[in-house]
Amino acid sequence: MAADYVSPFDERVRVPEPLAARRAGISGRRVVLLDIRKNRGAEFLDQIETQLRAAGAPTARRAKEIFSKPARLTLIDEIADDADLVIEALAD
Amino acid sequence: MVTIAGLTSGGCALLVFVSEECPTSAMALRRLGPLCRDWREAGLTAIAVFEDPLEIAVRVARRLGWAGEVASQDPPYETSRSYRLVSVPTTVLVDRAGAIAGTVTGWDHAALAALIGRAGALLGTELPIPEAAEPLRKPGCSSKAAIDPELAAAMSAPSGSDDVEEMFERGWTDGLPVIPPTQERVEAMLSGCDGQISLGLVPPAMGEATLERVAACAVLAGCRPAYFPVVVAAAQASLDPAFNLHGQAVTTQPAGQLLVVNGPVREAIGLNSGMGALGPGFRANLTIGRALRLLVTLTGGAMPGGLDRATLGHMGKIGFCIAEDEETSPWEPLHVERGFDSGQSVVTVIGSDAPLSISDHRSRTPEDLAWILAWAAASAWSTNWWPLEEPSVFVICPEHAEMFRAAGWTKQRLRDFMFEAVHRPAAELRRGETTPFVHAADPAARVPKWASPEAIVLIVAGGEAGRYSAVLGPCTGMGSQIVSREVGSPWPLTT
Repeated sequence: MAADYVSPFDERVRVPEPLAARRAGISGRRVVLLDIRKNRGAEFLDQIETQLRAAGAPTARRAKEIFSKPARLTLIDEIADDADLVIEALAD
Repeated sequence: MVTIAGLTSGGCALLVFVSEECPTSAMALRRLGPLCRDWREAGLTAIAVFEDPLEIAVRVARRLGWAGEVASQDPPYETSRSYRLVSVPTTVLVDRAGAIAGTVTGWDHAALAALIGRAGALLGTELPIPEAAEPLRKPGCSSKAAIDPELAAAMSAPSGSDDVEEMFERGWTDGLPVIPPTQERVEAMLSGCDGQISLGLVPPAMGEATLERVAACAVLAGCRPAYFPVVVAAAQASLDPAFNLHGQAVTTQPAGQLLVVNGPVREAIGLNSGMGALGPGFRANLTIGRALRLLVTLTGGAMPGGLDRATLGHMGKIGFCIAEDEETSPWEPLHVERGFDSGQSVVTVIGSDAPLSISDHRSRTPEDLAWILAWAAASAWSTNWWPLEEPSVFVICPEHAEMFRAAGWTKQRLRDFMFEAVHRPAAELRRGETTPFVHAADPAARVPKWASPEAIVLIVAGGEAGRYSAVLGPCTGMGSQIVSREVGSPWPLTT
């Protein structure tokens, strides 16, 4: 007979959030560029932003407080309200 | 090879046939076991003949206090058959010539006393007999030799259930063997606390740290229940948002969570702050640190190679709990610096790299020693990464501490001296990885290793001999602050 153990895991089942519908193109789409504040991440986003604008996509910049913590929920809500697309950059 | 001739070469032999599954066998071993040494001296060799594999026989005999010899037999139990065994326990007296001089089946105190009396008569001496305790008579169980050989073999086959291996199969481990967290052990660990109380969510997977799960981690780690208040305080401190466990748990950096324990609880539970204070040998230190790491790894989901992305990690990530030697220290202990009373027991958590040993057996002034200690940390985190915002922890050994005591140096004086000692011109730091601060500074500007003297944490620990201190570099870029929590206040935790 198997022993009755106490699990160290939180075994509640979590239902994954469905992904948003993918966009067919970027022209005219509002794109938020999220700087997570990793070293030189902003430089990378600058290059992406230049190309996006050339392709006809209006852009906006947002930033996390620090790369090592999850983004504030209010920031996530703002991005969800303001953007059709979001690009998050990691650099170092 | 055990033979009757060998057993009776010095006198007589008492064969006690037993089986692991039989309670009467266990009773016989427990009651007869303590007498075996006296019997042996008088010429009577007692041997427990198990109808079980040898590893089981040895374990059961030791557990029941059997001080005689141990033998085992495999199916089809030829030895039991040759003695025409029907049940276990059966006790057989064999005389000097190898002949059966008497047999007792089951537990029968009077018959056994008579059998031992007969052995005494054969040896010409008086032998001790077991106490006449209830039950005086108790039937045994069927001998495996008396049942169908195929069934007996099936009964003796390894079951395949090994609870320690099962923990590995479940993934309830940090890679080392663990103590299975049975309901009974977890209940004992909780020590009256309400297991449903939540300490919060453990990042990165945000598993909820109910006290029951914290207790399960403490059991897995090998903690005694007396350690649990320290484990709980360590968990509370680590889950404080100011500590940013999330960043530490997932970073590519090697950092782990260093626990520093202060106050009376150190002595109460046997935490080592003396010889080998950063090393192995002490259950409380090793298992408390491990319990916290298991909470992060299992409940929090930060499994190395999974959500824990550490490039190298370090051994302190298995668990790292040290205690300060407040009695030897010339200074106020860490928890008093942090606003607690000296009589309070406190756990402090610090995001920390592996220790770097600093040998100094030659300094003859506190200035020289402080300079050596401070410059050992010049490469902490990275050679040219100046200044460090996060704390570097210096563990000052007693002989080094004594030099500062003798010179009348306060902790703050040492900290200020070390801070001032380690500066370099910005121009010399502009090579490879360095900080934006260095790039922005005037080339001739003196850049400090630490952003402020307060980034230098000083505690005293270690053996009384040897001039080896150590520095533990920081976990950087996390915005992690040092967090302290009082141990066991209140206790037990109930709703």
